[in-house]
Amino acid sequence: MEKKSIFESDSFRSVLASLISILFGMAVGAVIIAIVGFRDPTLGAKSVGDGIKLVFGGLFSTGRNAEGALTWGFNSASVGNMLFRATPLIMTGLSVAMAYKTGLFNIGAPGQYLMGTMVSLIVALSIPSWVVPPQIIWFIAFFAGMLAGALWGMIAGAMKAFLNINEVLACIMTNWIAANLVTFVFDVTSYKNVVENTKSGYIYKTSFNNVQTAKMGLDKIFAGSQINAGILVAVLFAIGVYVLMEKTTLGFQLKACGSNRHASRYAGIRDRRNIVLSMGIAGALSAAGAALYNLAGNTEFFWSTYQSLPAIGFNGIPVALLALCNPIGVIFAAMFMSMLSIAGLQLSNLTAYNEYITDVIISVIVYLSAFSLFIRTILKNVGKKEQTVNANAEPVPDEPAKEPADGAGEAAALDESSNTEEGGKQA
Amino acid sequence: MDNSQDYVIEMLHITKVFPGIIANDDITLQLRRGEIHALLGENGAGKSTLMSVLFGLYQPEKGEIRKNGQKVEIRDPNDATALGIGMVHQHFKLVEVFTVLENIILGSETTKMGFIQKAEARKKVEELSKRYGLSVDLDAKVEDITVGMQQRVEILKMLYRDNEILIFDEPTAVLTPQEIDELMKVMKNLVAEGKSILFISHKLNEIMAVSDRVTVLRKGKYVGTIDTKGTTKQELSSMMVGRPVQLEIDKTPAQPKEEILKVENVCIKSHVHDRDAVHNVSFTVHAGEIVCLAGIDGNGQTEFIYGLTGLDRLSSGSITLCGEDISHASIHDKGKKMSHIPEDRHKHGLVLDFQLQENMVLQRFEEPQFQNHGFINRSAVRQYSDRLIKEYDVRSGQGSVTIARSMSGGNQQKAIIAREIDRDKPLIVAVQPTRGLDVGAIEFIHSQIVKERDKGKAVLLVSLELDEVMSLSDRILVMHNGEIVGELDPKKTNVQELGLYMAGAKHM
Repeated sequence: MEKKSIFESDSFRSVLASLISILFGMAVGAVIIAIVGFRDPTLGAKSVGDGIKLVFGGLFSTGRNAEGALTWGFNSASVGNMLFRATPLIMTGLSVAMAYKTGLFNIGAPGQYLMGTMVSLIVALSIPSWVVPPQIIWFIAFFAGMLAGALWGMIAGAMKAFLNINEVLACIMTNWIAANLVTFVFDVTSYKNVVENTKSGYIYKTSFNNVQTAKMGLDKIFAGSQINAGILVAVLFAIGVYVLMEKTTLGFQLKACGSNRHASRYAGIRDRRNIVLSMGIAGALSAAGAALYNLAGNTEFFWSTYQSLPAIGFNGIPVALLALCNPIGVIFAAMFMSMLSIAGLQLSNLTAYNEYITDVIISVIVYLSAFSLFIRTILKNVGKKEQTVNANAEPVPDEPAKEPADGAGEAAALDESSNTEEGGKQA
Repeated sequence: MDNSQDYVIEMLHITKVFPGIIANDDITLQLRRGEIHALLGENGAGKSTLMSVLFGLYQPEKGEIRKNGQKVEIRDPNDATALGIGMVHQHFKLVEVFTVLENIILGSETTKMGFIQKAEARKKVEELSKRYGLSVDLDAKVEDITVGMQQRVEILKMLYRDNEILIFDEPTAVLTPQEIDELMKVMKNLVAEGKSILFISHKLNEIMAVSDRVTVLRKGKYVGTIDTKGTTKQELSSMMVGRPVQLEIDKTPAQPKEEILKVENVCIKSHVHDRDAVHNVSFTVHAGEIVCLAGIDGNGQTEFIYGLTGLDRLSSGSITLCGEDISHASIHDKGKKMSHIPEDRHKHGLVLDFQLQENMVLQRFEEPQFQNHGFINRSAVRQYSDRLIKEYDVRSGQGSVTIARSMSGGNQQKAIIAREIDRDKPLIVAVQPTRGLDVGAIEFIHSQIVKERDKGKAVLLVSLELDEVMSLSDRILVMHNGEIVGELDPKKTNVQELGLYMAGAKHM
């Protein structure tokens, strides 16, 4: 057997495609920083240089020294906070990725996240901690939140399975119902934080009831950060989702239904049940992210959400896309996204730039993540050309199905993969 | 040799190499003006690649294409269309949610100030449809019409574009004998009007009946071009396969034993119209016999099979399988006593983006030998799949881990047949098991079905191919308009009589 070209390995191409979108996004960010810097008299060339360095290496910035130059090194607070912020993103990313692998586009992560937030907060704050040990309350709240998210996800799943309503529509609708429901529930209940009432509109931190996520010594390693064991839970979930999808009969069924619902029905697989289940699991994952974030003990929830949906929910989509829906990849994609927001903080702390410049970079990357399929196709063609020259190479069956070759095609593929007869091509 | 002016299209010394595979090796195909030229070859012989080269989908490494003696470059399908080359594809290229008329005019709409002139188009299509006897319902959506009508839409599409060189890729697969005769007439009319036809087929009867010359390909190589008049079916088939082929099925008379399947007064509602798609159907199938449900496409066979296998609900009546009432059982429960080779291998038969081995255990992955506490036993699946691949000679690029989508149609079908036969159930439901396959594959599949019958399986065959109906079945039930209108003994009837029953002109 001839040695295969490295371009022929699908996983290599996938990773490379994601890396290219990331690099391209950061390069665009650098250009924007330069443009803004040179146009603004208060910034200038030095700030531009610092700004670009911070965008790429903000995570390892340790401030400025006496001479005013940037210093670099291991910043335990930044890394810890990066991991802390990545935790819920991993979960919503998993939620979207897992649903996508089963042929469903879960745009309902924000709603499921909100339901998880509401139920876990109410449970964590209403069980008296002098009766039940706080650790037990934490677990009850966590699982109750997950259950709420699962049920919420199942609504959209059931509408798809039994009424053939596109899950995207059902998800968007249930998102706003969740947003209003949560506002209503916290409006009529008494979990509002009146103790620290200089800040109105917030719910009690769960630490008021002594409920908080265990630190497990991580706060020692990453001194000065908000980190807790939630990140470990999220990583375990990612491994769990990987095992579920790749190793179990349930994952096999779910993927079969997603890839070709007709063939699954033909094979005696209960397609309706699996669609509902798939959305239920996706909902549970999003809600678990909400619970991990809100049960941390140091986070506050602004309850008047009826006009906006939590960005963490939506950010699950770019995380999943960037990770090409690989559960393990989701961990790194989520860490990368939160690293950028840390870089943004550093940027506004250490230079005259405001932190929104990183939002621009994040949006460019998000935008490009939709193009990662396109980039993958280009890489494939590069590989093919190399192969044709090498006539002795191993036979490769030509692929009749062309992958969508642009961003719009990607969106369509996400959308249609659930209902085309041949099943959408999985990313 | 011949004066090159005689040829409307020439493909000279075409070589097309895919990584590791030479799909076309120095192939020459010369199409005379006003002839029907058949292109014959097994799956994977390079017919599709050659046509894709002609259509501009692939660029050949070597060789050239000439039109009317002039060298032409065909870089994409638009170039081909501009040269008047039109093609009816084997897998239809229709927009499911569009109407028939919209599909026909799609891409070459007559417009006035940006508005589509449907009335004009309709007139033209109606004329064509009448002239060539291609009856279609212009306002029906493609997703609601039968496969047969979709085929007719494809042919009309090509006629609508006034193409000069017409490529028919397996056009008769879905037609009845009468319709095939009609199509043959259409084709002859077309060439009489100066059009030239490339006819891709492996049905020797049709090639003998309609074509002027035949070019045979085998494994990417050019075998030869001969005049149809001077050859025989036997010679063509051995040229194609490379060895003498048995065209007749070798089988002994059936020895029916106990009753396996009993269908009583089954009615199934149609999803298209208000009437029943299947009305009051009753019959039995015994162990050790092959019962064939014959009929023109769209007369309730598909719906009946859906009802029988659980893909659809029965509105009344009952089905008993091995003494057990399964009228309303789930697909999963029905599958315990029944194998099902589905009509549409891409829709139902396979999860195309799954590996071959995953498809091999599509119904069985929950059985104890393939799983352990909910975890798939990959090595058991692999072993099982490897065994089936070997036993049933399923060919694919990378064996068990090949993605099903990348396999050829014949091997996809072989994989399904392997899976269904190996499930070893008392009843085998085989719906058009040889649709679109070549002689070699058909021979294999027929012998497998006869083998299973001789092992004591009950076989319910649904087929639209009269040759298959006549040669494979032990008993023929003819369906027309959702009802069984006749029961025939293949030894005592002939194709003409069968055709009359199928057309509804004759009743029991």
